[in-house]
This record gives sequence, C-alpha cells and structure tokens, in this order.
Amino acid sequence: MQVALEPFYEAYASGLSVPVAEFLSPIAPAHNPGRLYDFYRASNDDKLEGDVRYALKYNKSTRMTNRESGAWVDILSGYWRAVKEIIKADEAANQGRLGERQYVAVYDAWKDLTSTFIKHMSSGLLPTWAIFTLYFTANHLRKIAIRADEQLSKSKSAAPTTGYSDDIVSTGPQNQKLEEAARVFNRIFALCLGDRNPDMADSRKWGVYCIANLQFKTYFKLKAISLSKNVVRSIEAQSDLPAFGLYPRAHRVTYKYYLGVLSFLQEDYKKAESSLQEAWETCWSPSQQNKSLILTYLIPCRLITQHQVPTAALLAEAPRLERYFGPLVSCIKRGDLTGFDKALADGEPEFVRRRIFLTLERSRDIALRNLLRKVYLAGGFEDLKEGQSEKDRIRKSRVPLAHFAAALRMGGQVVEDDEVECLLANQIYKGLMKGYISREHAMVVLNKKGAFPNTGI
Amino acid sequence: MSGSAQGSNDMKKAVVNDSKNTEQPLALEKKPTTQLEEDDEFEDFPVEDWAEEETQIPAGNTHLWEESWDDDDTNEDFAVQLREELKKLGK
Repeated sequence: MQVALEPFYEAYASGLSVPVAEFLSPIAPAHNPGRLYDFYRASNDDKLEGDVRYALKYNKSTRMTNRESGAWVDILSGYWRAVKEIIKADEAANQGRLGERQYVAVYDAWKDLTSTFIKHMSSGLLPTWAIFTLYFTANHLRKIAIRADEQLSKSKSAAPTTGYSDDIVSTGPQNQKLEEAARVFNRIFALCLGDRNPDMADSRKWGVYCIANLQFKTYFKLKAISLSKNVVRSIEAQSDLPAFGLYPRAHRVTYKYYLGVLSFLQEDYKKAESSLQEAWETCWSPSQQNKSLILTYLIPCRLITQHQVPTAALLAEAPRLERYFGPLVSCIKRGDLTGFDKALADGEPEFVRRRIFLTLERSRDIALRNLLRKVYLAGGFEDLKEGQSEKDRIRKSRVPLAHFAAALRMGGQVVEDDEVECLLANQIYKGLMKGYISREHAMVVLNKKGAFPNTGI
Repeated sequence: MSGSAQGSNDMKKAVVNDSKNTEQPLALEKKPTTQLEEDDEFEDFPVEDWAEEETQIPAGNTHLWEESWDDDDTNEDFAVQLREELKKLGK
C-alpha cells in the first residue's frame, strides 16, 4: 500500500488540487494504464483501512495532523472500494457480461466516495484547496451516473414488453442516478457558498462557480433547466463572493455560457447576448466544441438584438455552424422569404433540439425587412426640381402597396393584398420600417429620412 | 431478441478491448461511440485557466458580424427583375 500511495503523497505535497484529483481518478493515466489495478491489488476488503492508515502514518514525505490523516484514510479507502468496482466492471466487460449491475455498483461506490469527501470537507479537516479535488470527484460522479442511467434504461427497454408496459417505461425513472447525484452536488454547492471564513485566500467560495457549472450541466441533462435559476439566484444574492474576474477562466466561461443560455431561453436576448459575448471572448481558442456551442446561441441572439448576421469567417469556426446558419443567413440577406422558410423547415428538428427554433423564426422579420427595402430602393429617386443638385436627390417615399405585393409574390409567397398590408403594418409596429399606410391611396408613405432605420437609407 | 442483441454488443466491446491488449480499465467515461449524441454538452476544459493570448480576444471581434442586408447591388438578378415587374405595374 505504501508504494501504491506514493503518487498520492507526491500529489498532496504539491498542495494543488489537480494532481490529487488526478490520483483519485476512475481512469488510469495513459502513461500507467495498470495503475488502478495495482492500487486495487495493494489491499483487500478486510485489511483496507488498516493498510491505508498505516501507510499514511508511516510514510516519510507527507505531514498532516492525525485528524486530517483520518479524513484521507476514509477518502482513500472509499476510492479503493470504487476502484474495486471499476475493475470488476472491467473484468465483466472482458467476459462480455457487463450489465446494469456493474454500472450501478461503480456508481454507488463512487457516490459513497463523494459523500465521504463532502463530510470531511464540511468538518474542516481538509485543506481548502481540496474543494477543487472534490469538484473533480463530483464531476466523475456525474459522468458515472449518466452511464449508469443509460445502462439502466437500456436493460429496461431490453426487458420483454407486455401490452401496457410502454407507458410505464416512458414515465419511469430514466435518470434516477443522475437525479440522486444532483442532490449530492447541491450539498457541495451549499458547502462552497456558505463558507464563513473571512479570509478569502482560504475560502471554499472559490469553488462556487465550478460547482454551479456542474449543477447546470446536470439540470440541462435532466431537462430540469429551470432548477438552474435557483443556482443563479443564490449566487447573485451572495454579496461577499470574490470578484468574478479572479476566478479561473474555465469556471467563468462555462458559467457565462450557461447564464447566457438561461437568459436566452427566457427570451431576455440583451442579457443573453452580453453573457454569451463574454463567454465567447474568454473561451479557450482550441476548444472547438465549446466555441461552436456558444455561437449556436450567440448568433440567434445577435440577429434579434442587433439584426446582424455572422460573417462567413465566423461560420467557418465550425462546420456545424455553417450547416445550421449558412442557408438562413444568405436568405435573410437576400430577403428571400421562401428560401428562409425552407431553410427553417429543413433545420427544424436540429433547431428544436437546440431550443433555438422560435428565436430563429423571429428573424424572418429581418428577411422581410430586407425585401421591402429592396422595393424601396428599386423605386428610385424623385425628379430633381429646379435649383436642386445631385446631392439633394431623395428617394421616392410613396410606394404603392401593389409594389410590395408584387415583390412578395415574385419571391414565391402566396399572399392576399390584405395580408401584405398586415405584414407592412407589423414591420412599422416593430420599428423595422418607418412610415404609415395610406389605405385611401393604397400607398405606403415612408419617412424621408431613415425609412428603414439603421440600414443606411 | 433484444436481449441477444445486447449480448453481441458487449461481445464487440470485449473484442475491442482484447485487441488493444492492455489492462486499461474499461472507459467508463469518454466512450467515443457516445460522443455523437453527447455533443450538446459544454465540455470540461482540459485546463483551468489560460492566458489572454489563448482566448478569442487576440483575433479581435471585427469581421465576425456584418449587416443583414446585401450591399445595394443593382445588377443583382432579383433587383433587376423587380424593377421590371414594378415598371409593368406602373403602367
């Protein structure tokens, strides 16, 4: 056991959370694929705690108080038991009989480890940096829970079905383990947020955002997104957190991303845009997946708040983005409503899954605006009056309704005249077009200055 | 039926494991096969913090967004067609 714990001592001596977390990992490091197995072989169920206690007490490199040492004995023993289950699951996999039982056993053991860790963290026996090690442990719990749930629902659906069991399966606990894990994460979050130590250098408050992110990921996975709002509210009500900018970027970017998506789903696009913009700017540039996720929400936001579209360069950031938004964007720019409707319908399943469908649908207004704008431009200029020069030329501001109707029909839209009027009224109401409709003359009278605000005419 | 399909999947997994011939514990996480459906999730960053040079800021935010309307290209097919159409209406 002494030898097996050698990497732990080294990690602990660094006084850093990550090396210790790397030791307490459910996956063996690439450079030492047999490490879990070796660790498992270093003890057995009966002698475990004695072995670990003895090893911690008599090793030469690590100094800790007896009480702290006791806490680590519990944690390392918990880890050993989890490793044992992982190895059993591994062996089962090699024999082709890996099933739900093994997954659940790994989950249970890992959950025990996490709970033990929380217990000692909250009693203050462990150094403060260990809160981040706990975060990694909890993150593993999340992933293990997801795998266990997948396995459980798989074996459930593989079970012989009787006539009425379809209903039962669909309403049954699909995410039982992850839901359970979510409650564990709540406890860690409270543990971080509620640290009363006035010395910020030694506060668990530094763990607030990474645990919050863990909760967001869990709630999104559970499709219980609204629970995330409680997390945000708790953080916003906590006045004595360290300045946000002092947290590591990984915590900040993830937090801002989820905050942005939450605002997005509440249709608060201004707020969503600023959070997502911040996440975008701070994001680690090699992280393709995360950048593309941020943009998946930032692009629809920007369409709504600023009527701006992404450039080809931005869409090229990820092939997925081009596939999602490329056709829509070019239809918006052309004012091609029929093409827009088709692109929206083509992407619908994907857009709905990403929860951006309704927002994208709203950008049809911009495509329409661009079409109407073209009609206005095509109308040309008023003739020059005497004494006027080229620079005094003004565009014809009175445009027959029939012109707009013709443009819409040319673009493939089937619209009655009344509908055209309705569309125009809407554009005026939304401030996309300035002017009024004169029904008497079947004319639209546009503002001489800024008929289509912020579009340069 | 589905039970046996399950079994054969597991067999495949076992075969893959064997062919690698390592003691590498079964990947309880990060199974590449599940990543296609998992790509909804915001990934854990492999590092906790990074320098500003490694963010998007150095690239700047110019050229990322543009106005939503096309530059007034009068030769564009649609515009030409439209003018023709409107001319007809004008008469």
